Amino acid sequence: MEGLAQLVPGFAKLGGGLSIGLGALGTGIGMGILVGKALEGMARQPESAGLLRTTMFIGVAFVEALALYALVITFLLIF
Amino acid sequence: MNLMEHLQPHVIIPLKIGGLDVSITNAVIMMWIACILVFLTLTLAGRIGRLIPRGLQNLMESLVSFVRQSLIHEILGEEGMKWFPFIATLFFFILFCNLLGLVPIPKIGFTATSNINVTASLAVVVFICTQSAGIIKHGLVGYGKTFVPKGMPRGIMGGILIGFMIIVEIISQLARPFSLAVRLFANMTAGHMVILVFISMIFMFQGVIAKIFVTPMSVVMAVVMMAFEIFVSLLQAFIFAILASIYISLSVHPEH
Repeated sequence: MEGLAQLVPGFAKLGGGLSIGLGALGTGIGMGILVGKALEGMARQPESAGLLRTTMFIGVAFVEALALYALVITFLLIF
Repeated sequence: MNLMEHLQPHVIIPLKIGGLDVSITNAVIMMWIACILVFLTLTLAGRIGRLIPRGLQNLMESLVSFVRQSLIHEILGEEGMKWFPFIATLFFFILFCNLLGLVPIPKIGFTATSNINVTASLAVVVFICTQSAGIIKHGLVGYGKTFVPKGMPRGIMGGILIGFMIIVEIISQLARPFSLAVRLFANMTAGHMVILVFISMIFMFQGVIAKIFVTPMSVVMAVVMMAFEIFVSLLQAFIFAILASIYISLSVHPEH
């Protein structure tokens, strides 16, 4: 059991790295789809580009928040 | 070397009032500086009032009209202009706090918005404004009714479903200030942490040859990240303000 207790900080760092890595993976895929679709819309209808851009930024903020939650968990686990 | 302690505020003037720790930390001083700068730039920009703006007035006028057009008019409509002072204050204060964090000032240099306490208090203010806007518009009972979607089934199962929907709605209302606070805090912390890591790479690598190779790379990367951070500062101030505006609009016009 004492050997296991010594491993806990190392596992915490491993978990922290995995947390931000996997979090960024999913968020990256999501953000790619989001921005790609927004670009498609902008290319199809350039006159609504302004509205699309604003909406896209709001969506990006929501998607990005997920990666940032993972980052907070990483900070908690590592430090 | 612990990088985390650079992201912690440190006490400049210790102060205690009735057991409460209200010490003046460097985050507080940076917020004061941001307040003074917002006041000075906006007052100086609007003082002359040229018909054809140039210089500082031009910059500030374009920012203010941007806030007015895309944060208020497109979301809250014409009657939302009474929220303009609040949203504009949020936007400019967060923008100046974010940008001041990039300026290296000895002893007191700090990003006020990379502290969870600052962002959480801003988010709580937005939360209180959102809820009171809904209550003032619809009345206490009317605002409570907006928590239940229309067209729910009747009977016992309908009652259970309505109770469930109210709980979900309350949770989603409470999650909004949390996500607002964590978004701003984590963005600012992460961005400034990246710059810090690039700069501290110079000190991490020992030996002259390694330093000769690492130093130019890390300085260039730090400059690139710095430029990116200016963009992120603007974007996060915009996102915070637009989300505050959207939340207010959602509680004022719930059917949208």
